[in-house]
Amino acid sequence: MIISVSGGKGGTGKSTVAVNLAILLAERRRLVMADLDVEDPNDHILLGVGLEDERPVNIMLPFIRYDDCIKCGECGRVCDTGAMLISPDGLPYVIPRLCSGCRACYFVCPTKAIVEGERTIGYTYHTVVERGSRFDLVTGMLREGEEHTPPAVLAARERALSLPADLYLVDTSAGTSNSVATAMDGSRLVIAVTEPTPLGLHDLELILRLTQKMGIETWVVMNRSGLGSEERHEEVVRSYGSEIVARIPYSRRIVESYVRGEPITLLYPDSEEARVFRELASMVEGVM
Amino acid sequence: MRVAFATEENNGLNSVVSSRFGRARYFVIVDYEGGEVRSHRVEVNPGSEARSGAGIKAVQKLINERVNVAVAGSFGPNAMTALEEMGIKHVEMSGITVEEALNRLKDHL
Repeated sequence: MIISVSGGKGGTGKSTVAVNLAILLAERRRLVMADLDVEDPNDHILLGVGLEDERPVNIMLPFIRYDDCIKCGECGRVCDTGAMLISPDGLPYVIPRLCSGCRACYFVCPTKAIVEGERTIGYTYHTVVERGSRFDLVTGMLREGEEHTPPAVLAARERALSLPADLYLVDTSAGTSNSVATAMDGSRLVIAVTEPTPLGLHDLELILRLTQKMGIETWVVMNRSGLGSEERHEEVVRSYGSEIVARIPYSRRIVESYVRGEPITLLYPDSEEARVFRELASMVEGVM
Repeated sequence: MRVAFATEENNGLNSVVSSRFGRARYFVIVDYEGGEVRSHRVEVNPGSEARSGAGIKAVQKLINERVNVAVAGSFGPNAMTALEEMGIKHVEMSGITVEEALNRLKDHL
């Protein structure tokens, strides 16, 4: 079973929620955590572990056999990302950084003048985490300067799903892009983390719309609760048939755990905040 | 010599040169020979409506139009790479009309 932690807005505490849930759920279940925020993966930092067992994420890069090119320009016309430029003499010229590896040029070339090369756009990692409990962490990371996140998200997701587990806990990036949808695909449940701010509300509605479209049950977690009004959040959440299932108080202890790099469920296991995470974890166990 | 000026308005030689290249609305394309304008025309920049790769689509347009020099306030990194690879010169200049820009450029064309 896959459960995803998302929420639209950046900095609401998605990774904090995901990391604490992972620690608690791994006490009784075989768990694999997948950090699919490939542009800025940070679950390993919050857990205080390293990135191990690196594997490259390669995508197709077209190479052109100029002897076979008839200068028809089809590859340039079919290219959606602008990676294929047709030069003044009619020959195609590839700009690797813009290429998403979709292979459209390869399929459309009438003389098979395009051959399949490869390019490394990112890496995946596998770390065995032993923090209170034991679980696997798979991390996806895009290389600096790369533009196309979905292939890295998919590669990390596949690597996570190839490991045996009762539960796969996915941490997505912020936003509602293709990468977020790719990360959440096939989830039994999405936990949307928000905060009592206008921007938190705005982005919460976007993620609720996305999960509704994808047909995934969604629970809302209010982080930094008490900081501002939550009335509009409640109305919006209700209108999507969802519910605010947990409220994490805005607290100094959470900030302290963040500063010390020690998840709060380990640093202050008896705190109010840790109790909220334990309740949330047992609710999640209820759907399994 | 064929020069393309990135502009936001379709106002011929009186159009103001845009600060941006890839997503500028138009290109005012001028044929300049022997110290004078032989002809000019306005073309829509396909990059202005592109979802991604705007700079490259703009460069492709200039290649297809056999342009030798591109003029805009600034060029993105992709556009810059493509222009250099394709042997199209690029000049950074904006906020003045195409005609004024031509006057400043003429000694170099």
